[in-house]
Amino acid sequence: MPPSPSDHETSHTSTPEQISSTDQRVYQDIFEMLPGVDNPTPLVRINQLNPCETFTLYAKLEWMNPFGSIKDRAAAQMIKALEANQELSATRGIVEPTSGNTGLSLAALASVKGYPMRAVLPNKVPLTKKLLLRLAGAELQVINDELCPAPGLGDGSINMAKTYAKAQSTRYVMPNQYENQNNVEAHIETTGPEIWNQTSGQVTHVFVSLGTCGTVTGLAKFLKSQNPEVRVIAVQPSEGHDVPGLRNISQLEVSKLYDADLIDELLEIDFRLAYQNSMELFRKEGLRAGPSSGLIFEGARQAMKSGAEGVGVMIFCDDIFKYTDSYARHFPELLDGTEP
Amino acid sequence: MADYADPNVLVTTDWALENLETEGVRFVEIDVDNNAFDAGHIPGSVGINWATELNDPVNRDIVSREQLESLLSRHGIQNDDTLILYGDNNNWFAAFGFWILKLYGHEHVKLMNGGRVKWLNEDDKPLTTDQKTFPTAHYSAQEMDTTERALVLEVMQLSANRTANLVDVRSPDEFTGKVIAPPGMTETAQRGGHIPGAANVPWSTAVNQDGTFKSLDELKQIYLETAGVDPSKPTVAYCRIGERSSHTWFVLKYLIGLANVKNYDGSWTEYGNLIGAPIEKPTATTASV
Repeated sequence: MPPSPSDHETSHTSTPEQISSTDQRVYQDIFEMLPGVDNPTPLVRINQLNPCETFTLYAKLEWMNPFGSIKDRAAAQMIKALEANQELSATRGIVEPTSGNTGLSLAALASVKGYPMRAVLPNKVPLTKKLLLRLAGAELQVINDELCPAPGLGDGSINMAKTYAKAQSTRYVMPNQYENQNNVEAHIETTGPEIWNQTSGQVTHVFVSLGTCGTVTGLAKFLKSQNPEVRVIAVQPSEGHDVPGLRNISQLEVSKLYDADLIDELLEIDFRLAYQNSMELFRKEGLRAGPSSGLIFEGARQAMKSGAEGVGVMIFCDDIFKYTDSYARHFPELLDGTEP
Repeated sequence: MADYADPNVLVTTDWALENLETEGVRFVEIDVDNNAFDAGHIPGSVGINWATELNDPVNRDIVSREQLESLLSRHGIQNDDTLILYGDNNNWFAAFGFWILKLYGHEHVKLMNGGRVKWLNEDDKPLTTDQKTFPTAHYSAQEMDTTERALVLEVMQLSANRTANLVDVRSPDEFTGKVIAPPGMTETAQRGGHIPGAANVPWSTAVNQDGTFKSLDELKQIYLETAGVDPSKPTVAYCRIGERSSHTWFVLKYLIGLANVKNYDGSWTEYGNLIGAPIEKPTATTASV
């Protein structure tokens, strides 16, 4: 733990350890940089794009986490739990199905700690994310998940990861972000308290997307325990979407963490708006938000109609950098002027 | 399972678990994803690669009698063994293997109901990476019986005369020609659409969430009542390369009990490329992509 500011006041000689301070953003290692109440990710207020004067809207910038997404929280919590049970070693690593962000967080954390990591991912994941996983030190296994739609077939990547964990249990353990309660706990212990503190308990609405559902379930549990009136508004992309990491309700059966009772409102948003809105957020607010954030922003915009009042927090899961190819696909005009 | 026309062609995962060591029972995994077997498989099973071991790439045909004999002998499979086939994607290629084994006269062959995904998701079912080896056998296949194999000229004739039920088991997007093949597939065709007169019943409508086959009543409802398959006529199932249609062939022949069912394994990669073969494509007026 970093020393408190008072420790510095009473100290006359500064050693590198003693200058460690999250207030000053000096960390002794990357694990210390992981978020929590004492080291929250920033909230940034939406100004130009806020259509409702009576509603204060913030974006929580989860790309400010060490490995660039909200998934750092769940990954750290899941690894902590596995370590507590002595399930990880230099020869027994992690296997996890992932669309990218959880894999990247797990791979980076595992690498630094000396654990092997195999990421099993659907082919549709952008090349950039696949390369990032390789750069972080993970082995990849890419699965074609879209051969021919079948109810109950499940995700090929989930089943392949389960295969490794079951058949090669001396080499791999599968955190399974879709079922692991630590994914929920991470948000009960960090994201929820951060928001509560950062808004001085004034938060009235949170806007989240649905993927593994660890975020929505953990946040809802914590915030409603502080104030049962807090409204949890979840957005889902329309069917046929190409927003990485998100799931439409029809795709949610793989997540055992989804609890419909905790969600006050579920909005289905045309997935194309995810891309349109996030570009707007970048240009008008300077927020380099990724497509899932664009979808969440649309949810907030819709919920703020008709003169709503309160303080809303949108969870912006990651930034735009990993998805530039997807933007070029949605907006071919972006490619204009990119060649000499 | 007991209600099916021939319940003996299926075993449950529980039966499989109890018979892993049974003499004369052999487990064979055949997957779409040929990496799956190496990642983990049922103890004692052998893996067959559909692309290189069930097809003859030189002749663009299913495996020859001699090739099949060599394959099964190499795996120590005897003629009187009971073969339990299973695989990923709810037994797509396991059903393809079943169909080929039947063409070559293997008597005792069954599918494990639910396939690989059901086994994987049941806590009491083990997986291993150990590769068990068996003494080489001397498997002797019969001449190929083509009664249940449709070839393209026959299919064109049946389509033109409307004298058979043509069941296109691909996804609706493939059937309508919106896509030529599922994403990521290398085997495609010049044109998207379907064989004139075909009804679209995606293979997956025959399976439950856990990967097992639906009940007989449900299957009859799907194929006979909703899709209008006439049991008094011959039926031909097709897809893109013949594996998904093997799955539906299995359903129609063994579970519902239709008398005359064929698998057209040339399927869309053959028909869709054929010069002079008319297609139907609801989204366009001309027969083009």
